[in-house]
Amino acid sequence: MNMRQRVPEIFLGLGFVGIMSTLYLGMNWAPSVSINAFESPAAQRIFYWHVPAAWSAFIAFGVLFIGSALWFFKRSPIGWRLHVAGAEAGLACGLMTVWSGCVWGAAEWGTPWDWTDVRLNTFGLLTLLALFLVLGRQSQPDGVETRDTFSTFGLYGFVLVPLTYIATRIWQIRHPGPVIAAGDDSGTLQSSMALVLLIGALSFTIFIIGHMMISMRITHLEQRLEQAQKALDGGN
Amino acid sequence: MAESLLSLVDLEVRRGMSTVLTGFNLEVASKDVVVLHGKNGSGKSTVIESCARLLPLEKGVIRHHGSLIVDSEGRRNLAKYPFGLTLQSNALLGDETIENHLSTVCSLSNMKTDLLPILEAYGLGHRRHDRIGQLSGGQARKVAVIAGLLPAMLSSQPRLVFLDEPDAGLDKSALSALISDIGQLREAGHAFLIASHHSQIMECATRLHDLEGETKQPQPTVSSWKAIGVHEKKGMLSTRVGQRYLRSTRAGIARNGLTALLVLGTLLALLDPVTESRTLLFGFVLAAPFAAGLVGDPVVYLMREQRAVDWWRAHANRLPSADLSSPVIGFILASLGAILFLNEVNWTLSFLGAGILWSTLICVRFIELSTLRLARPNAVFIKLLIPILILPWALIVEYAATL
Repeated sequence: MNMRQRVPEIFLGLGFVGIMSTLYLGMNWAPSVSINAFESPAAQRIFYWHVPAAWSAFIAFGVLFIGSALWFFKRSPIGWRLHVAGAEAGLACGLMTVWSGCVWGAAEWGTPWDWTDVRLNTFGLLTLLALFLVLGRQSQPDGVETRDTFSTFGLYGFVLVPLTYIATRIWQIRHPGPVIAAGDDSGTLQSSMALVLLIGALSFTIFIIGHMMISMRITHLEQRLEQAQKALDGGN
Repeated sequence: MAESLLSLVDLEVRRGMSTVLTGFNLEVASKDVVVLHGKNGSGKSTVIESCARLLPLEKGVIRHHGSLIVDSEGRRNLAKYPFGLTLQSNALLGDETIENHLSTVCSLSNMKTDLLPILEAYGLGHRRHDRIGQLSGGQARKVAVIAGLLPAMLSSQPRLVFLDEPDAGLDKSALSALISDIGQLREAGHAFLIASHHSQIMECATRLHDLEGETKQPQPTVSSWKAIGVHEKKGMLSTRVGQRYLRSTRAGIARNGLTALLVLGTLLALLDPVTESRTLLFGFVLAAPFAAGLVGDPVVYLMREQRAVDWWRAHANRLPSADLSSPVIGFILASLGAILFLNEVNWTLSFLGAGILWSTLICVRFIELSTLRLARPNAVFIKLLIPILILPWALIVEYAATL
């Protein structure tokens, strides 16, 4: 295997090391938040996991959208592979975000989930959409009907991304507002906190890029295997 | 030259990972009986289902009577003139009686007729009031075939009839009746597109098509069919049929109603009405209509049987549904909940309950129907997306508590 073929594994390895470093720095090095500002200041450190995971989930949902559009409008096989990779990465990152959010919510709000908070629910639905796409694809024979249907969900589901983004600006109920690019001084972070967050975002991004590259390779191999099986069956 | 009733131009259709049809062209004129034959998987059913606007086109266009029905741009128009359709699956609901089902087919053509002579010709006269679920496989197939022929039988104007393997399961006498009907209806100007390998069906074709080329086959002149339909326009057909399905099956009570009552019972077992907050109590009252809605439209559930949904999608843009009865049930459930949890009837909550059940049912139906094109729509975990409906429900409960 040459160096070019190893790129996904290198990305995964680098991303993993970066995520572990983020966790270490977030838990041990980053300063604590004011005890007056939070009910549970220690739990706030999960933020260094939660925010990068959410960031990378949005990247994955973006890839899902692009892949869905490429398949639906251009019938591009690479588009379908991007769709599959985006859904899998979106599910992984979405679950990490939801899980860490629930842990923080339980400590800070006294409840892990609020069914009346728009951001929690739209992000939760995005994660469920990714779960639906991953499980659904496994339950169906590969074909144009399957790909068209799931691509449609990928296309329409992306509407939730901007909705989730603006949710805390329009209907803030429980979820905190933006800490980055808030457009005012309310979200200003200490530089050491911002540095850990940046390392986390970069690490998660590199990790899911590696994940998606491997996923695309696996989907491609699955398709080749299916073609070979069909050839053995005597079909076209 | 005879009027062109069906036109397929440069058709390309994919199914699974294969392109089943490429550059396929076909014109079917009045008095044509085109029989598609050829090996399994060659695309016979694909042609018929495309003509019935059940499959999207990669390329090309399909027209009925000169009007666009479906094209590769995604347009999917309702046929101006009713057409007959018999799919490979019978598309029948077991709880319908034969007469009810065939009357619905007549209503789709805005016609009515005395069905007894037709049923007797197929040996089903004595069974007209029986439920389809009580029939044998062959008898049910006869009903499906008659349903396919009816739009042509009723009309004096040329109609299109699509029959996919109509001979499957038919006995000798029913097959003779079918062949005789095809001949007479052809003479009356109607046109047929039939997929079949059966030698007797192939013999009655004016054109035999193997999806690569066709051979013409002259047919002797036979007596012409006399149209038997009487014009009768009935509005809100889908709604009426949906209500009839609900009445005959009790599916609404069995699925949605029981779920709602179970939710009410469970909440009642857990709750001390004196100590709880107003928001929580209102939430309990509105939980039952919400749960009933989450179960989904019982009519759509019924119509998943034997591709009945597909048959309806071919003929109408609006499927039969439980839209009419759902607000009533929601109203009753919310009123019952209010009596149980609040010891009073709260009209605001009752109307909210009606709205919640109706809108939840519509949303769940939309989500469920969006996966119908899949090979295994029941295996697809579509209900994973339904939790998003909790958000609006919770907001309504909070709003109601502030009133």
